[in-house]
Amino acid sequence: MNVHTGPEAFESYVEEVKDREIKLEAKNLDFFYGKNQALFDVSIQFATNAVTALIGPSGCGKSTLLRALNRIYALYPGQKATGQILLDGQDILARGLDLTVLRSRIGMVFQQPTPFPMSIYDNVAFGVRLYENLSKADLDARVEDSLRRSALWNEVKDKLNSSGLGLSGGQQQRLCVARAVAVKPEVILLDEPASALDPISTAKLEETIVELKRDYTIVIVTHNLQQAARISDYASLMYLGKLVEFAQTEELFNNPRTTRTSDYITGRFG
Amino acid sequence: MTAAASPLPERRAKPRGAALDPLFRAVCFSAATFLLTALAGVIVALAIGGWPAFHKFGFAFFTTSRWNPVTEVYGAAGPIVGTLVTAFLSLAMALPVAFGVAVFLTEFCPRLLRRPIGIAVELLAGIPSIVYGMWGLFVFAPLFAKYVQLPLILAAPPGSIWESLVSGVPNGANIFTASVILAIMILPFIAATLRELFLTVPVKLRESAYGMGATSLEVIGSVTLPYVKRSAIGAVMLGLGRALGETMAVTFVIGNAHGFPHSLFDSGSTIASTIANEFAEATGELHTSALIALGLVLFMITFAVLALARALLGRPPQV
Repeated sequence: MNVHTGPEAFESYVEEVKDREIKLEAKNLDFFYGKNQALFDVSIQFATNAVTALIGPSGCGKSTLLRALNRIYALYPGQKATGQILLDGQDILARGLDLTVLRSRIGMVFQQPTPFPMSIYDNVAFGVRLYENLSKADLDARVEDSLRRSALWNEVKDKLNSSGLGLSGGQQQRLCVARAVAVKPEVILLDEPASALDPISTAKLEETIVELKRDYTIVIVTHNLQQAARISDYASLMYLGKLVEFAQTEELFNNPRTTRTSDYITGRFG
Repeated sequence: MTAAASPLPERRAKPRGAALDPLFRAVCFSAATFLLTALAGVIVALAIGGWPAFHKFGFAFFTTSRWNPVTEVYGAAGPIVGTLVTAFLSLAMALPVAFGVAVFLTEFCPRLLRRPIGIAVELLAGIPSIVYGMWGLFVFAPLFAKYVQLPLILAAPPGSIWESLVSGVPNGANIFTASVILAIMILPFIAATLRELFLTVPVKLRESAYGMGATSLEVIGSVTLPYVKRSAIGAVMLGLGRALGETMAVTFVIGNAHGFPHSLFDSGSTIASTIANEFAEATGELHTSALIALGLVLFMITFAVLALARALLGRPPQV
């Protein structure tokens, strides 16, 4: 089998999500960093209460797609997305949309742990305080619940007032997950959340993610194929800014429909 | 090929630079000691030179405000208070603006304008103080007197605190004017430093905060500022140090009156302006000594500010 380098028709296979509600959906999405186009006509659906994994070689656009979904790219002049991104059917690329509200509905966790320079408790309460006016008891309960969901509670319950910066890398990452969960978003975007973690922390984080999908819609970018196979319900392979294949994870890994996908998952390219 | 005969290269006894290393250390050591010796020398010289004044007037040197070279009576309360008031007032005026400039440049400024404005701010920091002083005296002070000072004096109800704050000869050369000029001078320095600090905040940290749905104000207040807090205090203190010691610009616009300033719009003096004004004419031993003593006081104030900054910075992080 040859490696795909020459010019050829771009082979792609995109399945429709059936039997499930669609929470978030990109339609004909193009993305530009200044003059450089990074996404080409990407259409993909994210099912409610499911984990969707975005895989592909470095620079394929999977992180770009993720960053488009909560419009975090809008912080930077010169980056723009065209097409449609529908959250519950509402186009979030529309002008005049309140980005702060959007981002409170679509939370994000980054590759590197990014605890804020404040206590563990305040880290988790940060987003909650922005949007809700909870009593001390309710806030305490929310913080505890979020930390339990991210499997961190037992490790930090006695030191909630010490700095979030003092935790280990894996703990910091779960703290960031707790922080994202605490605001009760509808969608959680994870950008290679385990790439800076050791295997044990990774395992814990994966358990957390699987737990979380009961309540949330999760999109995860990962370059770890085993991880995608373990935790996701749907998976999509991207390459050169285009969507190559999107299907149920089992299908994509066991019965890839495109040669590029079968090459990628068997390690022949990427 | 001799390598075949001896497979291991002959081990050198020492690297070639070994002989130079002790010399290098000695040079660095003497540079450091020289600095400390010079510092100690300055303190000792100031203390010895100021001793006659301290000895003659005792504690009254700090608490009285009669400064009379003819009768040889020197009390430094006026310049000391003038120094502290102008420095802190200028800091209070400059800090919010500097903060705004830094935030604008890092958060809101369109990319096209970012570099020009940043460079302009740095250029402002480089304007010689005498230029600020001349501008202050010839341009700012007259306008200030006409459009701010006079109306305020006329508007103040007689006998009120308000009146006591604004009273004075409306010539524009007063403590408040000096503070404004100082504020303009230290503003670019603080703004440029704050901007540099804000740029050190990791991109992902800011994105995380924005990603939670925080507004710019919330991101700055809860994440950016705490992240740079310690260095920012240092930057502010350095700005304050500059305001404390600034001489030329202040001498131009403060009015150079020795008495204790009674209002914000009263002519006054700072330690630095007093020394600059009088050193050439100080012939008597006691007059010279009083000026040197003033220098020592200024040194102590600046030292105290820096020590305070250090103490604030040195505290273990609160978070």
